[in-house]
Amino acid sequence: MSYEEILYLGSMDGKIMAISPSARDQELNFPSLPDGEWSFAFTMPSKGVVCGSSSVSIVIYGTPVVANGLVCIGIYNGKVLMINPSARSQNLPFPQGRSGEWSYPRTDDVIEPIVGSPVVANDTIYVCSSDSRVYALDMTYGDEKWRSAPLDGKLWTTPLVDGDTIYVSTFDGHIYALSINDGSLLPWVFEAKVGFVSPPEMYKGTMFVGSFDRNLYAVKVGDDKPLWEFTGGNWFWATPVVSEDIVYAGCLDGKLYAISSETGEELWRFDAGSGIVSSPVVADDLLVVTCESGNVYLVNVLTGEGRRIKNPDDPQSADRPSIDASIRGHLCVLDGVVYIGAQDNRLYAVDIDRGKIDWKFPLAVE
Amino acid sequence: MVNLWNLIILNPMLNGLVALSSLLPEAVEFGLAIIILTVVVRLILMPLTLRQLSSTKALQSMQPKIQELQKKYGRDKRKLQQEMAKIYKGAGVNPAGCIWPMLIQFPVWIALYQSIMRALATAPENLLDLSRHLYSWQIVNQAIPLNSYFLGLNLGQQSSSAGIGGLILAILVGATMWVQQKMTTAPSGDPKQQSQSGMMLLMMPLMFGIFALMFPSGLALYWLASNVIGVVTQYFIGGGWGYLVSSSHT
Repeated sequence: MSYEEILYLGSMDGKIMAISPSARDQELNFPSLPDGEWSFAFTMPSKGVVCGSSSVSIVIYGTPVVANGLVCIGIYNGKVLMINPSARSQNLPFPQGRSGEWSYPRTDDVIEPIVGSPVVANDTIYVCSSDSRVYALDMTYGDEKWRSAPLDGKLWTTPLVDGDTIYVSTFDGHIYALSINDGSLLPWVFEAKVGFVSPPEMYKGTMFVGSFDRNLYAVKVGDDKPLWEFTGGNWFWATPVVSEDIVYAGCLDGKLYAISSETGEELWRFDAGSGIVSSPVVADDLLVVTCESGNVYLVNVLTGEGRRIKNPDDPQSADRPSIDASIRGHLCVLDGVVYIGAQDNRLYAVDIDRGKIDWKFPLAVE
Repeated sequence: MVNLWNLIILNPMLNGLVALSSLLPEAVEFGLAIIILTVVVRLILMPLTLRQLSSTKALQSMQPKIQELQKKYGRDKRKLQQEMAKIYKGAGVNPAGCIWPMLIQFPVWIALYQSIMRALATAPENLLDLSRHLYSWQIVNQAIPLNSYFLGLNLGQQSSSAGIGGLILAILVGATMWVQQKMTTAPSGDPKQQSQSGMMLLMMPLMFGIFALMFPSGLALYWLASNVIGVVTQYFIGGGWGYLVSSSHT
């Protein structure tokens, strides 16, 4: 997530970090405070039988969101955190209530693990939890505005807010519509035979969502049957992106499919060679596509022709992947550069115009 | 090598487990599937188990003679080994006979263990990993993700975090393992050996009881099912409670 030239991300070793691309480009020491950089490790007392340390670091799957200059993140340990960058750069104890910081729940209590990202709308944070509920939290104080009735199973998804409605896709194969005001269930529910694996993407009143039956579904809000379904070779794990009436859906079968959003007709496909876990990003007429093998591709949105970014340490090699680690995290585009957090706990900056990796930065820094 | 292992052993077992879950009532699908698959695997491996049991029994019946030889040739190791080999040969018993069947069973146990851990998919990366192992069968897709609750226990959760249910499960794992071992451990005339085997008799169940607390409850359930089947097999094949009863009488 980027905001005012700063990248906000969760590291593999459980830190929430603010990174300035400018400072990293100049290879300044981290954190470069004048550039707004900081790092915050939130720990919690461990539960159950463990060896060694009695506190455990957090695990972060979702992407932070920025609201009124504050950073909000849901963590796997079952808490929602609101973080003030200024307080974190001064390394003050967390939470600094006066600076707008809070954690939900406030005490040592936790809700069930949070995997999806929080969403901000109407001064409220909306987040899904593995206890199968959606939570609405006051953005300023972190007070619970409402929590929904339990839906289906674990909600490892990101809620989709559209107007006065929140849509939630579930592992049990439902798309629920909830009132944004009180979390009550609205009359329309879409029911599929198989569970949904990805959070939905909304485009012109139609949701696009991947399912465990290896299909990508297009579901028009209010309809009982899907507008169309498109079968891939494995799950559509990543949330598809839609642009100019074309759905770009990365599949774990290693293909990126371009599909007409209206008819479900396949326009082209691009073979990335290994499973696509991260949602692709659109930058002008190019798609940035990453895959589990570590390759990064720039793919033309119209033709589906792509070229691979070379590994900066071995540019002559045709076999060595662009990045020497699997890519599963969210991609972020800022000023013509795409930032990629890889499984080697490094952040990579890929210049789209020049088609090369500008720099890499180890996130496991003290 | 890893691919071959996945193709031949792990994937069929994992998909079998998931497909089986799909056929069972949703409230108990995965827990019951673990138990049923454990039973099926044990039944398939029954010929090996029987062979192992018979070898163990034959070895135990020869213990008095072995102990006599140990007393007689205690200092002359070479002679002792020669005499022991003669006795084994005379009785038509191969001491390795009880080890080979066990070794052959190990890969199957490991695959079963891996199947359970993978199918539980307790974290997003596990679910992602699961996608690489699943067949495109509709029956498999329908079951994902599995309902990990069984009799109030979250099978994907560490037993020690699962409250009293998890604790009871861990105790049952330790207790059934102790019973199973006790049924087959012959008392020894040698106090030193008796002390060693007594220690082993306690250590293994204790160790597995602690493992059961540290690992997800689904794995503890598999150990429990496996132990219970072991006890039942031993009871019917070995002719009753074996040394569990006879040693308590002495």
